[in-house]
Amino acid sequence: MEALAVQILKSLVSGLLMGLVFALVALGLTVIFGVMDIVNFAHGEFLMIGMYTTLLTSPLLGVDPVLTLPLCVLVGAVLGLLCYHGLIRFLLRGPMIAQLFGTFGLMLFLRNMALLVMGSEPRIIHAGWLVGKSFAVGPNVVLESTKLAAAVLSVVSFLVIWWLINRTKVGRALTATSLDAEGARYMGISTERMNALAWAVGGASVAVAGGLLVNFWPVEPGVGLLFTMIAFATVALGGFGSVRGAFVAGIIIGLIVNVPPVWDALLRTIDAVGLKNLEIHSLKYTMVYAIYFLIMVIRPQGLFGWKQ
Amino acid sequence: MRKVVIFAAVALLAVCLAPAMAWSAPKEIKIGVIYPLSGGAAAAGRELRAGAELAADIANGLIPGVNMTMAKNAGIKSLGGAKIKLIFKDHQGNPQLGADLAKKLILDDKVVGILGCYHSSVTKTVSAVAERYGIPMINGSSTSPDLTKRGFKWFWRTTPHDKWFTKDLFEFLSGLSKGKVRGVKAVPKDQISRLAAACEKTEWGSHVAIEIASFAKEYGFTLAANILYASKSPDLSSEVQSLIAAKPAAMLFASYTSDAILMIKTLKSMKAKPKIIWGQDAGFDKPEFVALGDDVVGILTRSVFLPSVTKMKPLAGQVNALFIKKMGHDLDGASARAFTGLQTWVHVLEKAGSTDPKAIQKACNTITIPGKELVVPWVGIKFSTKGDEIGQNVLGGGLIGQYQKKGGKVVLEVVYPFDIATADMIFPLKGY
Repeated sequence: MEALAVQILKSLVSGLLMGLVFALVALGLTVIFGVMDIVNFAHGEFLMIGMYTTLLTSPLLGVDPVLTLPLCVLVGAVLGLLCYHGLIRFLLRGPMIAQLFGTFGLMLFLRNMALLVMGSEPRIIHAGWLVGKSFAVGPNVVLESTKLAAAVLSVVSFLVIWWLINRTKVGRALTATSLDAEGARYMGISTERMNALAWAVGGASVAVAGGLLVNFWPVEPGVGLLFTMIAFATVALGGFGSVRGAFVAGIIIGLIVNVPPVWDALLRTIDAVGLKNLEIHSLKYTMVYAIYFLIMVIRPQGLFGWKQ
Repeated sequence: MRKVVIFAAVALLAVCLAPAMAWSAPKEIKIGVIYPLSGGAAAAGRELRAGAELAADIANGLIPGVNMTMAKNAGIKSLGGAKIKLIFKDHQGNPQLGADLAKKLILDDKVVGILGCYHSSVTKTVSAVAERYGIPMINGSSTSPDLTKRGFKWFWRTTPHDKWFTKDLFEFLSGLSKGKVRGVKAVPKDQISRLAAACEKTEWGSHVAIEIASFAKEYGFTLAANILYASKSPDLSSEVQSLIAAKPAAMLFASYTSDAILMIKTLKSMKAKPKIIWGQDAGFDKPEFVALGDDVVGILTRSVFLPSVTKMKPLAGQVNALFIKKMGHDLDGASARAFTGLQTWVHVLEKAGSTDPKAIQKACNTITIPGKELVVPWVGIKFSTKGDEIGQNVLGGGLIGQYQKKGGKVVLEVVYPFDIATADMIFPLKGY
């Protein structure tokens, strides 16, 4: 029974950390969707570019990977602006389907460019303040430095975005644009500039996440997909365009994927031999998507969604 | 006079026809090679491709001085010196894409045969296409036992499969408890009898998990956890937590490259302390994995080729030197088997003396390639034609290597088979 309690505690901590990481990755996606009603399929590729930015610039500049994060913010924001002004702006004139396929095309383009430039092998960062470090809290719970740092960054980013949207004039303009773009234009808000801002913020937040994650995760051109699948589920679960929703949904998903070890511990505690063959680990993402579908059926706008 | 005219006419005809007959033998023989050249297993794909290319270059006589039969022929002798031409396709680890590519190779490129595909799941669909069109396929590196249990008539596999490799592991663990391992005193069996396994959940990993479970029972070990996980997962911490909670003496893995790297990093960050970590080749055998440096020291991996094999086989040393010249590093399990796969194709074509599928089929079913021709440490290559394993090479064998640090460099040393061990084993692992 004690082992079960310890495992629940471990899974809670691990789930919370991973959940905040998922939320961080999903943040930019929900900001862009909230303002423009566009699903950015290339979101994961922005993450990948953030990862490569740190991987390449850290040894080049001779600084710790963590110190390259401001550079990731810059690269992400510029990339977001470039994508908006170079592609998305034109897609807005077309039907919804053009926007969908446009960002899908952007995803394929960025991924294949990365394949061309970086090659396809997974690469890792070998040394740094966060690399390979973790510390034990109490006798059993281990905190992994990279995930902890990402979790802190996640909380900070969400607070900053929340403050930006709810407490500043720019934020009110962003909200106005997302509620009624035409109305906002009549009020003298440059919706074009708001859209570009959303892309810059979205790009910067996910690129900085990438720069941090590469301290732990190996990076290869296809790495974005691993995270974007989860990010899409996070955004849909939390409610399209809802910043608060993405935060909560990220944590929910983090906790769900950490259910299997609790289940294993439970089986060990009650010594249920017959149930051990259930492949619960391989089903952990299935559980995430099942809950996502369930929410879609019961509450199509998501947990905190306000867009109908 | 008339006789002279007829004779002259016949002679003229013969002179005209003779070159035509020689021309009818193909100048080049197209082999379709389907590997994962991009995606999660691209690192492996690059090795596989280089291995196959090197074998083709040697067979085509482009590289002189290699001490093997195919190097001396400069092309396929029985086919008028026809050269081997490889047509590479990238399946990205996707079984459906693999099947489509196989169809294209057969129908559009008109290949004589197929080599590939690394991922067992892709080999499964590709071989089904080859079977349907009656085009021979030789597989060098997919190790799911099921592949040769389907009774296919156009599929042959040179590599030993997971059942053999997993048996090697348990032979090794038993040997460890009997003091057979070089440099380690007999370890009481109850100290190493508790095992936990995590395998990726595609064709390959799922079967490894089944083999591990069945051998654990047969050899009297306790399998405290047997986890299947979704491959290419963004997070493996829940799997690692379950592994650690099972308190195993040995952790066993079947993972491709990015998963293997993430697994070791997660084990380290969660401060896992198993006495033994064993990987079923694949991700545990790649340069990117070895790049983890000190973190992989002490880890075991099964393999079919380790650089230290060159100490025992001069021919392997010769080919390895050529491979280093091409790629900058040693042959590994993937490249050595791709090399052997293509080499088998060359021998089969030589024996068949024709590009007719039926003739190739007959050659495959009757060929014997002696071990002295091969870079891998096998007795040879001879395909089974009856029983429950049609098309399986019955003369193969496996190795278990351990990463050790020699002169600041991480290298693989052979620890099994016991009689050819190249170094003392590090036991137990120091833990993270």
